[in-house]
Amino acid sequence: MRKRLMMLFGLLAVFSLMAAACGSSTDEGTDTTGDSSATTEGGASSATTEGTGTSEAGGATDADCAAEETICIGLVTDVGKVDDKSFNQSAWEGVQEVGETLDATVDFVETTDSTDYATNISSFTDQGYDVIVTVGFALGEATTAAAAANPETYFIGVDQFQAETAPNVAGLIFPEDKAGFLAGALAGLLTKSNTVAQVLGTDLVPPVVAFKEGFDGGVAYTNPDAQVIATYHPGGLDVAFADPDWGATTARQAIDNGADVVFGAGGKTGNGALGEVAKDGGDALCIGVDSDQWETVPEAHPCLVTSAMKLITPGIVDLVTAWNDAKPTSGNFVGEVGLADYHDLASKVPAEVQTEIKELTPKVISGEVPTGYTPS
Amino acid sequence: MRAEWRQWVLLPVAAVIVGLVAGAILILISGDNPLTAYGGMAEGAFGSSDAMSRTLEKATPLILGGLAVAFAFKAGLFNIGGQGQLLLGAAFAAWIGFDLNLPMVVHLPLALVIGGLAGAALGAVAGLLKATRGTHEVISTIMLNFVAANLTDWLVSRDGPWKDPESGAVARSPQVLDSAALPRLGFLPVGFLVAVAVAAAVWWIVNRSVLGFEISTVGHNAKAATYAGISVVRITVVAMLISAFLAGLGGAIQTQGVNGRFEPGFNSGLGFDGITIALLARTNALAVVPAALLIGAMDAGSTLMQSRTDVPPEIISVIQGFILFLVAAPSVVRWLLRLREDIGGTKIDLASGWGAS
Amino acid sequence: MTTTSTSVETGAETTARRRQALVRNRNGIVLGVMVVVLSVVAYQWDGVQTTAVTARTVREASPLILAALCGLIGERSGVVNIGIEGQMLLGAYSGFMAASYSGSLLVGVVAAVAASALAGLFLGWAAVALRMDQIIAGTVINIVGAGVTSFFYVAGRTMPRFPQWSVPGLSDLPLVGRTLFAHGPLTYVAALMVLVVHIALFHTRWGLRTRAVGEHPGAADTVGVRIERLRYVNLTLAGSLAGMAGLALIQSAGAFDRGMTAGRGFIALAVMIFGRWRPTGVLGAALLFGLFNAVQAQLQFKQALDIPPQFFGMIPFLLTIAVLAVAGVKARPPAAAGRPYDPE
Repeated sequence: MRKRLMMLFGLLAVFSLMAAACGSSTDEGTDTTGDSSATTEGGASSATTEGTGTSEAGGATDADCAAEETICIGLVTDVGKVDDKSFNQSAWEGVQEVGETLDATVDFVETTDSTDYATNISSFTDQGYDVIVTVGFALGEATTAAAAANPETYFIGVDQFQAETAPNVAGLIFPEDKAGFLAGALAGLLTKSNTVAQVLGTDLVPPVVAFKEGFDGGVAYTNPDAQVIATYHPGGLDVAFADPDWGATTARQAIDNGADVVFGAGGKTGNGALGEVAKDGGDALCIGVDSDQWETVPEAHPCLVTSAMKLITPGIVDLVTAWNDAKPTSGNFVGEVGLADYHDLASKVPAEVQTEIKELTPKVISGEVPTGYTPS
Repeated sequence: MRAEWRQWVLLPVAAVIVGLVAGAILILISGDNPLTAYGGMAEGAFGSSDAMSRTLEKATPLILGGLAVAFAFKAGLFNIGGQGQLLLGAAFAAWIGFDLNLPMVVHLPLALVIGGLAGAALGAVAGLLKATRGTHEVISTIMLNFVAANLTDWLVSRDGPWKDPESGAVARSPQVLDSAALPRLGFLPVGFLVAVAVAAAVWWIVNRSVLGFEISTVGHNAKAATYAGISVVRITVVAMLISAFLAGLGGAIQTQGVNGRFEPGFNSGLGFDGITIALLARTNALAVVPAALLIGAMDAGSTLMQSRTDVPPEIISVIQGFILFLVAAPSVVRWLLRLREDIGGTKIDLASGWGAS
Repeated sequence: MTTTSTSVETGAETTARRRQALVRNRNGIVLGVMVVVLSVVAYQWDGVQTTAVTARTVREASPLILAALCGLIGERSGVVNIGIEGQMLLGAYSGFMAASYSGSLLVGVVAAVAASALAGLFLGWAAVALRMDQIIAGTVINIVGAGVTSFFYVAGRTMPRFPQWSVPGLSDLPLVGRTLFAHGPLTYVAALMVLVVHIALFHTRWGLRTRAVGEHPGAADTVGVRIERLRYVNLTLAGSLAGMAGLALIQSAGAFDRGMTAGRGFIALAVMIFGRWRPTGVLGAALLFGLFNAVQAQLQFKQALDIPPQFFGMIPFLLTIAVLAVAGVKARPPAAAGRPYDPE
C-alpha cells in the first residue's frame, strides 16, 4: 500500500518535470517582464513565469520585487475573473499597459470569496510589490488597512471613494452617473418609439445604481416624453452579474414592450441583453457599459451604438505613471467617463444628434448640467 | 487498535492524494507545473504565522459547516442548507453586534448565540417539514438557501433595515462594535478555539448524552426507535435544529471574528464543503477539525498558488470535488491503489429517505 | 407504506392512482383554462404588455422544462439527481466550445448532449455500481461541473447563432403567435419532450418498467426487469435532456459564461416537485416559474409595485416550500427514489 502512495508521489514529480521541460522550452526560463502584454486575452497570464522545476522557483520573484530597481505591480480582482469583459478586465489591461511601459513585473490574484480580500492583497505586500491595484468598492476597507500597514507600498483602489486621505492610497473613482446621463441623452434622441429600456445587475452595487439613475436623467433631459423601463436582476449578488440568460430574456421583454434602445449594465447579465438586442439586426439599438464593449462583446456589433464608459484602463496608467515620476496622487482621483465611439453604427446616429451629444458632453462632465443622481 | 487507526486514516489520506494527483493532471493540461502550484499552496497555508492564521480562519466556518452536516448524518438527515443557515447567522450576529451596546461578556456571546439561533430557525423549518409532512430535507434546505441569500441581501440593501447609513450606496451592515468582536491571540483566532470547543461539545452530545443515543437510534433505524419509545418527530426536529445552529454559529463567528460586518455574498459553497469535511472525518465530530483544517488550508493556500503560477483558483474546488467523490466511494480508492484490505469509509445512505418511507 | 404491498395491493393502488391522476389532471385543466382566460382578458386590456409577458414566460420556461424532465426521469427510475446544475453547465460549455471551434451548430448540439449524457452515466455508475449515496454523487457533479467549465473557459470566443424558427402564418397571430410560434429550436424541443416523456412514461413498456423500478423495484425484479441496466440507460437519457437544457440556455444567452446556470439546476428540482413528477405537471410548473420572472420584470418596468427585487427572487422558492408544506404526503417522490436496489 505504501508503495502505491509512493508511486503516486513519483507520478506527481514526473508530471512536474514534464511541465518544467515544456515551460522552459517556451519562455527560455527567464523572469522577463515584457511578455505580460504578449498574452493579453484569456487572462491566464502573469509575467512571472517559473522557468525551473523546483517548487521554490517562485522565490526568485519575491527577491526581485523587494529589490529597489525592480518595479512590481499586482492586481487583486473583486470576486470574479480578470477576463470578465468588465471592470476587472479593464483594470488588468491598465496594469499590463503601464507594466509594459515601465518594464515592470505584473501579476494578478483572482478573488473567489469576499472574505479573502485582505489575504490576497497581502500576498503581494509579502512579496514586496511596489504598486497594488484593488478592484471594486468592496475592497475599500481591506485596501485602507493594507496601506496603513505598508506605508512603502502604493495602492490604487478602483471604485473606492476615499473619505480620508492616506499618502499612499489613490481612490480611482468615476462619476458613473455622468456616463449614464450621456448614454441616456443619446438614447432619448435615438428612440423612435419613445421607449428606452435598461437591463441592470443588482442594486446592491453602487456603480450600477449610479449608471441607472444617470441614464434616467439623460433620457428626461433630451426627450421628456420618452418612457424609461428598467429592471434589476432579482437574484443575489452571486448570480446577478452572471446570468446572461436573464439579461437576454429581459431585453426581449423590453423590446416587446416597445423599447428600441436598450442599455445593458450588469456584467455578463448586461452582455446577454446586448446579444439579444443584436438578434434583431439593428432594428433596435443597444448601449454597453464600463468599457467600449465593441471590443469585448463582438456578438453585439449589429446593435451596439456606443458604451457608457468609465475609463479604468487609462486611469490606472495615469496613476501608476505619476507614481513612477515620484508624484503619486493621494486621496480621490476622478477618472474619465464618457461615451465610446459609434464604430460601425455611426450611420444610425443622425449628424444633428452627434453634434448635440458632442456639445452636451463637456457640460455634463463639468457638472453644468446636473444628472439628477445623488448618492444615498 | 492499530488496524482501527489505519481504517481512520487510510481512506482520507488516499482520497486526498488521489485528488491532488487528478488536480495535478488538470494543472499540467493547463500548462503549469503542479509542484510549483502545490508548493505555493502549502506555503500560502502554513509558510508563516500569517499564513497559519489565515488557514485557521478559513477552517473555522468549515469546522462548523462540517459539524452541521456530520451531526445531521447521525440522525439520518442530510443538511445541505449550511450555506443559507450560515448567511442568516452571519447577518443576525452582525445586527446584534452593531445595534446593541453591551459589555463584552454579554455582548459577544449574545451575538454568537443569536446568530446560531437564526440559523437554527431556518433548520427548524426543514426539520418540521420533514417530521410532519415527510418532505425530504435536502429539497427544503436547498430552497431555503435561496430564500436566505435573498433575504440577507435585502436586509443590508438600500431598502433594508440593517444597511450602514454611512456606507453611501454600498450594501452592507455597520461595523460590529468591539465589544462583540472576536479577538485574536497572537496568530490564533479565538473563533477557531470556539469552533474546536464546539466540536468537542458535539462529540460529547453524540457519544455520551442521552440525546445523542436517541439521535443515533433514530438514525440507525427509525422504526426500532419508535418501538423503544423515542419520538422520531421530536428527534428529527431537534437534530435539524442543532445542526442548523452549528452552521449559523459558523456564520456568526465569521462575522464577529473575520469580516467585522455583514456583506452579501461570502462563503458560497459552504454547505457542499461541509459534506466533504463530514465524510473525510467519517462523521466523527473530533475528526471534523483536522478535515476542516485540510480543506481550509487548500482555500487559504490558493492565493499564493495563484501568484506563483497561472493556475486559476477554481482548481481548488475541482480537487475538493474529486476528494468528495473518493471518500464517498471507497471501492474506487481500493481499486486505484490495488488495496486488498477493507479501508473503511462511512456508509452514507441518506438519499434513501427521498422516496416514501 | 411497507414493502409488503405486492400484487394484490398493486391492483388497488393502480385504481387509486388513476383516480388521483384524474383529479390532478382536472386541476391542471382548470388551471390551464384559467390561465388562458386571464391571458385573453389581459390581452384585451393591454395587448403589448401581455404578449411581452407571455412570450418571455414560454422562453424562460424551456430550459427549466428540459432540466426538470432530466430530474424526473431519474427519480422515476429510482435515482435522485441533484447534479442537474452541473450537468447543464457541462452541456452548455461543451456545446459552446464545440460549436465555436467547429463553426457548426450541429457539432455543438451533439457535444452538449454527449457531455451531459456522460455526466448522467457517471451518476448511474456512482448510484448503481458504486452504491454511492446519490445526493453526494449529484453534489460531486455540481462541484466538478462548475469547476471544470470555469477552469477551461476561454474568454472572447463566439459561436454561430441558433436560428429563430417562426411558424409561417401562425407566428403572426396576436398573442399566441409571439408566445408560442416564434422561438429558437430548443424551445420547441422542450415542448416536444414533454409530450415524448409523457407518452413514453405512461404508455410504453419502457415507461411501465421505469415506473415499476422507481416504485417497487422488488416487484419489478421478480417479473424480470433488469433494474440496474434500466437505471444506467435512463440516467444517460436523462443526462442528454440536461444537455439540451444547457443548449437552451446558450440559445437564449448567445454564448457560454462561467456559472451561467445561476441556480437553474436547483430551480428545476423545484419545478419537478411542483409538477409532482409528471411531465405535464413539469410543463405547468416551469411556465409558472417563468411567469414569475416575467411579471417581476414587467412590474419593475412599469414601476407598478415597489417591491425590492430580492423579494421577487424569493417567490419561486417560498412557493415550493409552501406546496411541500401544504400538499405534504401527496407531493411524494417515487417510493424507491434515492435507494440503491438491493435484491436481498
